[in-house]
Amino acid sequence: MSNSAENTFEFILDGKTVQAKVGETVLEVARREGITIPSLCFNGKVSHTTSCFVCVVKDCKTGKFLPSCAARPAPGQEIDASGEEVKSMRKTALELLLSEHSGDCEAPCTMACPAHAAVEEYVRAGKEGNWLEALKIIKERIPLPMSIGRVCPRFCEKECRKNLYGKAVSINDFKRYAADLYYREYVETLPPETGKKVAIVGAGPAGLSAAYFLRRMGVAVKVFDQMPEAGGMIRYGIPEYRLPKRDVLDVELAHFKKLGVEFEFNAKLGENLDIETLKKEFDAVGIAVGCWKSSGIRCEGEELATAGIDFLRDNILKDCKAANPGKTIVIGGGNTAMDCVRTAVRLGAEEVSCFYRRTENEMPAEKIEIHEAKEEGVNFEFLVAPVKLRKENGKLVLTCQRMVLGEPDASGRRRPVPQAGSEFDTVADTVIAAVGQSTIMPAGVKVNKYGYAEVSAGNLVEDNVFSAGDCVSGAATVVEAVAGGRIMALGMQALFEGKPYAEEYKINVSRGAWRSMSTDDVVKISDSVSDSERAQLPLISLEERKTTFKEVAGTMSAETLQAEGKRCIECSCTDKHDCRLKKSAELCGACPTAICGAKNAKRIDTRHPEILQDTGKCIKCGICVKTCKEIIGKTLLSAQNRGFLTTIGTAFNAGLPTSCAECGACINACPTGALDWKDKSRRKI
Amino acid sequence: MINENIAEIRLGTASCGIASGAGAVLEKMQAMAGDFAITEVGCVGCCYAEPLAEVITKDGQSIFYGNLTADEKCLANIFALSEEGRFVEPEARKQKTLPKVLKLAGRINPVSIEAYKAVGGYEALAKAQAMSPEAIVNAIKASGLRGRGGGGFPTGMKWGFLAAKDSAEKIIICNADEGDPGAFMDRSLMESVPHQVLEGMLIAAAATGATKLFIYCRAEYPMAIKNLKIAIEQIKANQLNIVHGRELEIIIKEGAGAFVCGEETALIASLEGKRGTPRFRPPFPTDSGYHELPTMINNVETFGNVPCIIAEGAEAYASIGTANSKGTKIFALAGDLKYPGLVEVPMGITLREIVFEIGGADPEHVKAVQTGGPSGGCIPVELFDTPVDYDSLRSLGAIMGSGGMIVIGKNRCMVETARYFLDFTRRESCGKCTFCRVGTARMFETLERITQGEGTLEDIDFLETLGNQVRKGSLCGLGQTAPNPVLATLRYFKNEYLDHVEKHTCTALECNALVKVKLDQSKCVKCKLCIKTCPTGAIGEDFVIDPAKCTRCNSCIEICPKKAISRHPND
Amino acid sequence: MEKIKACLDKIAPEPGNLIRGLQAIQTSAGYVSDEAIKVAADYFKVAPVEIEGVLSFYAQFKRVKPGKYTVAVCDGTACHIKGSPLIMEWLSDALKIRPGETDAEGNFTIEKVSCLGCCSLAPVMAVNGTVYGKLDRKKVIRILKEYQNK
Repeated sequence: MSNSAENTFEFILDGKTVQAKVGETVLEVARREGITIPSLCFNGKVSHTTSCFVCVVKDCKTGKFLPSCAARPAPGQEIDASGEEVKSMRKTALELLLSEHSGDCEAPCTMACPAHAAVEEYVRAGKEGNWLEALKIIKERIPLPMSIGRVCPRFCEKECRKNLYGKAVSINDFKRYAADLYYREYVETLPPETGKKVAIVGAGPAGLSAAYFLRRMGVAVKVFDQMPEAGGMIRYGIPEYRLPKRDVLDVELAHFKKLGVEFEFNAKLGENLDIETLKKEFDAVGIAVGCWKSSGIRCEGEELATAGIDFLRDNILKDCKAANPGKTIVIGGGNTAMDCVRTAVRLGAEEVSCFYRRTENEMPAEKIEIHEAKEEGVNFEFLVAPVKLRKENGKLVLTCQRMVLGEPDASGRRRPVPQAGSEFDTVADTVIAAVGQSTIMPAGVKVNKYGYAEVSAGNLVEDNVFSAGDCVSGAATVVEAVAGGRIMALGMQALFEGKPYAEEYKINVSRGAWRSMSTDDVVKISDSVSDSERAQLPLISLEERKTTFKEVAGTMSAETLQAEGKRCIECSCTDKHDCRLKKSAELCGACPTAICGAKNAKRIDTRHPEILQDTGKCIKCGICVKTCKEIIGKTLLSAQNRGFLTTIGTAFNAGLPTSCAECGACINACPTGALDWKDKSRRKI
Repeated sequence: MINENIAEIRLGTASCGIASGAGAVLEKMQAMAGDFAITEVGCVGCCYAEPLAEVITKDGQSIFYGNLTADEKCLANIFALSEEGRFVEPEARKQKTLPKVLKLAGRINPVSIEAYKAVGGYEALAKAQAMSPEAIVNAIKASGLRGRGGGGFPTGMKWGFLAAKDSAEKIIICNADEGDPGAFMDRSLMESVPHQVLEGMLIAAAATGATKLFIYCRAEYPMAIKNLKIAIEQIKANQLNIVHGRELEIIIKEGAGAFVCGEETALIASLEGKRGTPRFRPPFPTDSGYHELPTMINNVETFGNVPCIIAEGAEAYASIGTANSKGTKIFALAGDLKYPGLVEVPMGITLREIVFEIGGADPEHVKAVQTGGPSGGCIPVELFDTPVDYDSLRSLGAIMGSGGMIVIGKNRCMVETARYFLDFTRRESCGKCTFCRVGTARMFETLERITQGEGTLEDIDFLETLGNQVRKGSLCGLGQTAPNPVLATLRYFKNEYLDHVEKHTCTALECNALVKVKLDQSKCVKCKLCIKTCPTGAIGEDFVIDPAKCTRCNSCIEICPKKAISRHPND
Repeated sequence: MEKIKACLDKIAPEPGNLIRGLQAIQTSAGYVSDEAIKVAADYFKVAPVEIEGVLSFYAQFKRVKPGKYTVAVCDGTACHIKGSPLIMEWLSDALKIRPGETDAEGNFTIEKVSCLGCCSLAPVMAVNGTVYGKLDRKKVIRILKEYQNK
């Protein structure tokens, strides 16, 4: 033994007697003992700073907190490195650092996406012409890119900071193009089978999404559905002109068969399918039966109205050759209502109206849908509500009441209030109720007071039964269903591994939503962000739109999209994959908004061609200063000012010299994105 | 013209005297005195009576003349030994104080080594020269002297650490960076008895084998620096800087305005010409300090005590004070009281004696006293029977600190007081460690919200939780003590916080956002002085104050001859 | 340039004397210019960025030329509770500048300082080092007038 006894001694770490060599720090011993202590300001290569105090441990005897990166244990000393008080101190230290930190860990588009797809990344891959790479990134979160690339209401684009300058980047079209280009040939490589098998009831987006992610975990999946074909609402609810069934949906769904997903159609729980049997025969059962029950218009004669989703489904089953509905009134202001009016137009109805009880501003339907419906000649009546529906001489007579907007209700929208004596009659051939949908939950699945599946973490209902999609959330979007399906798959995986499902704790620091920002608040790392106008979707002619079910919007060209990609500001942090502040905060459960107050002085220096200096992200650890001085032997950086105003600066604020690009030592040493390469593909070493 | 019974006339020309107009007084007096030389002396501590002259009669009597002006009639009283214009130190002050360290302050010419020697100066050093280093260290240990800078670390132990170091070069630093706003005893000592401080340092060098002595003094104290420089030259001329055969270098370095440099390791960094940021200890300065050399740092007052201990013996010194706090302590009394100034009192005296008896504060009017400045805490009047020693004050959430003692009247808002101190510490934070840099900023912002009337109950909880964590998680003393004023006011005056938060009122009528200035028409004589004075034109011709324009600057209140304008709670 | 160098004449060119050197420069010029930093960097063999770090750390140093008269309002504890914020407000009103600023004529700079050590005369302020104590509004305005008429 080279370690003679006098060079080592014992002390107590987390209640356990451990050996330490003379001169070792508590942090070194703890790491050797497998105790995780986060640390930001210490990297072992330069002298100590002891600034972050994230690595604190407690000296049990004195009650003092010590930075473990610098504190050396004494023989017999008792150190607490994992207790509650220590954890609380670390959490506060991190929350204080986060409270002065400004930046965007993730881009707002990525944060807005319900499926949390890496938007900035796939747009960048597309911009660079790497469409297969783009598709792979998309499919990490979105298993139905062909469909979602067409029908998504584009949550991401609503939060796009480009809105500050005009219009958002046309993000969704990147999905559509990448998928259209590669879907016929690209198939994921699957891991070996685990031997687990899962039954999914419902071949809609939630069920398919779960199936996809389960297959990628090596789990066998069988999907049951009541209908003759897969797709659920995206087949039977979304009209052909928005999502062509044979040319697009069938291609997309064929992919699931390629991945080895088994299907059984015309199978309905409670009829020819029994949940108890499924629970026994499969390791887990996923209920994703959607929302297939149309809500009534809640007035006398409501049974005379056609349910919106029934109307849409009937047309699909008839291959878009359903009968002309004649003069049509659609009641409701959501996307289903828009699908109904536009379908009615295409079926040859001479007059189509949409009746909505609030104004256009309050309509939940997508603006683009309303706009296109208007183009196609749909008539809109706002501030009207049905009070009676009756049949007279073979025609329907709808009595409505005029409304005015009152105080805002729980949803924040202004409540419509009836105007007395304002009743009027309208005659129609068809009245369609598109005012909402709910689920019909099969017996044997635990439901909440609204009738939806009651799920806990990981979308677990009980035992080995899980649920996801519209039958959990109520009628929502495809992308939300897909996101729910993924969580259900992860919940099942946790069950198979015998662990409780725990969502990975992720933090996100944000500069804010563009609505509350000015262009001065936006950080552009690159000078080459394009100012051009948003790319326009190619549309078929209005005449074709009104008379056929041809897909209205076309796929943008690669050139158009590559130019569109250049409009992206690339808001996310250069260091999001390596940031030690983020990682430590996630490890310690620190929340970026727990403590509020003034932020670091924002000074983003992009003068260097390759290096970005962002004082708003600096944690003042001084590692960069020391690295430059102690390792490189130069003095290009130094702390400036004091207290809360401390920053790291360059001489006469002239920035780093261009020769620094060959070194990059300070960048690699920086625990956050305060010093980083501008090129996001260039990672820290 | 000059009364024949006058042996000496002394005039206090320390900073506080000069600020009160002693410069002009001296000029006038000297002109009137002709050949009779007026002795410039330091400060006797009765700052409230400055400018202050002392006449020593041939039969050894001392007669004071206070609140002097450069007016012939006023000054003639002195030369005539007139009964008129005499200043008599209040009896309680005379009886309760115990000038040991300050014994010579204001009694001798500060920059005359002869004057210092004439009253026994440098005899302690001579005694120490004859003692072994161990014997000196032991004497200091036996005296029970603890660091007067605020920490209260046993001085003898510190000396022992440095003495034990085997190094060809050892450093002693006198910490004269008195940054605590409200404390001025170190300034007074350096201005009034610079030789006494230097003698203490030379004795320390004899005890520890130090080779180089630094005095790190605030640049804001030009007179202290000037007097020390003269004293150092005199020491060199008298070869008193040769201690145990070693010739010592004595260097004055001026601080440049950073409170944190009162912290040992920050002070050393500053002395090395760098940013004054502290570092983690260990290693302690006695192991690795100035340029990695063994270094020991003591405060001005600590050194000021040393000659007394050596001269009178450790036992005599230790006979004063309490079990764990020996000797005397100098306090700088200021705030809402009658006799602000410097007082030296035996340890163990009660706050009541200091504030009411010595300071002459009005018991009806006093709410609390703040000890230890921005690092300390307030002690409410109910606890004024507490003996003043290191441990008792700490147990109340305050600290001894360097000796600032601010009396807080009932017209002061405790939340505002806490906000004021946090504003100081957050600006003085060096910015290195998270808890201090960001924690004090967040605490300050929260206090601002509360004084603005925008605070919540959660804010109060947040202050308490974060305050305790900042205390535990800061690197150096600045951050570790920064929350004290907040935590102490929360402990003793939580009701004031609750008033701001729940009732949106400031009982003391100090927080501007919660105060309205009103004019009482029945008292008003329509002199229009207020209208002319108001900087924002908030007072109309109808003598009604527009609260939207009023900045609550008090200008009108001060100028109103009829006291018709006053502050009121918001409606 | 030569004038700056002359300030450093009597100071040994070692990094430990940097603060002393900068103080000497400021005493002579009233502030420390970029040019002075370069001279000091050369003289003390300390990188300019580190000198800027030192200058911006200590409250004493000024990087811009102050007015002819610097009015330092003490905001020490004693002065604060005796109303120093009001003194600052009165000065601000009279000179139409905020703390840390210099008036357009370059005559006055007002600044808040942490303690002048004359607590028993609170509230106090100093004009170019001359301390005035026991201030009230009248006195402040009168002192200001005196300097304005100089």
